[in-house]
Amino acid sequence: MTGTSTEYLLLLAAVTAGVTLLLRALPFLLFGTGKRPPALILSIGNVLSPAAIAMLVVYCFACYVRDRAPLDHMLGLAEIAASVTVICLQLWKRNPLLSILAGTAVYMILVQTVVP
Amino acid sequence: MNQKPVLKQAFISSLPVLMGYTAMGFAAGVLLAAKSGVKLPALWAFLTSATSISGALQFMLVDWIRTTRPMLDVALLTVCLNIRYSMYGLSLIERFRGIHPLKKLYLIWSLTDETYALEVENKVPPGGDSILYCLTLAGLNHCYWIMGVVAGALAGAALPFPDKGIDFAMTALFLVILTDQCRERKNRIYAAVGLAASVVCALIFGAQKMLIPSMILMLSALIVCRKSLERIAGTPPEPEDEVKP
Repeated sequence: MTGTSTEYLLLLAAVTAGVTLLLRALPFLLFGTGKRPPALILSIGNVLSPAAIAMLVVYCFACYVRDRAPLDHMLGLAEIAASVTVICLQLWKRNPLLSILAGTAVYMILVQTVVP
Repeated sequence: MNQKPVLKQAFISSLPVLMGYTAMGFAAGVLLAAKSGVKLPALWAFLTSATSISGALQFMLVDWIRTTRPMLDVALLTVCLNIRYSMYGLSLIERFRGIHPLKKLYLIWSLTDETYALEVENKVPPGGDSILYCLTLAGLNHCYWIMGVVAGALAGAALPFPDKGIDFAMTALFLVILTDQCRERKNRIYAAVGLAASVVCALIFGAQKMLIPSMILMLSALIVCRKSLERIAGTPPEPEDEVKP
């Protein structure tokens, strides 16, 4: 790989850190003086997270469809098997690290051995 | 008074995070070294983990670096990933009121899921300084995270291994978060809204351009159908409970 420019990486680090800090500071900036948060903001804020994470899951799978599907001889079996592993383990053991490691291992083994 | 018990308790409370952060950070660091194509992965691992302190972001970064994503996308995606952080402060406003601005800035900057949970739990010994407890916890957790990510990047760069498919770790992380959120019945309908909106946008716009339209569609649906969604979720909003210290 030719490598990404240092300028891009610095900008990326600054933008991600800045936006994340701003999100964390938002309630203190808006309501630190004792003002009450508007009901609409609170209710949207409370429900946005599951919707946004669901969107990111769809995004990951859309990327697989774009990058892998044309060459995939298993018709998405690796993605499905690995996802089922993650969800079942998480429901059963409630250990995020275990679920992520096991699911990723299943996926890596399948794409490195079964699919050429 | 002697604050040594406060420091000791903060360390004990942080031990589960030590395990979680070093292991999760290690995985993110290995991914960065293996897939991003950067020349000095340990340096960038240090810089990004120390400044952002965000698990999902650390995984997502790898993909952004590899594809040189435009900054507007990066900013919007960061909002998507970390919007939940903007809710955490609501329950800490009162506790952090009136403390030194630099201490406050650090406590806000270091507010991760796990640090937040421990600060709200607030197992400070009787008579102990609650802010010192929070600062110690936040500092320890911050160090654990940096240690994990940098160690992963060093290991990933030093020992190349057959890494095809390792990027599934990010998908797995999102699946884990979503699975946990859907344990709570009221979250399921909102996850379904996000799912439906983004599938529609993925079909229309394709993977590369789906995220911004998805966010717009999703937010519109959440605002326009707010009342009926609340009825389906079965939880009327209770803003009163949100601002209690």
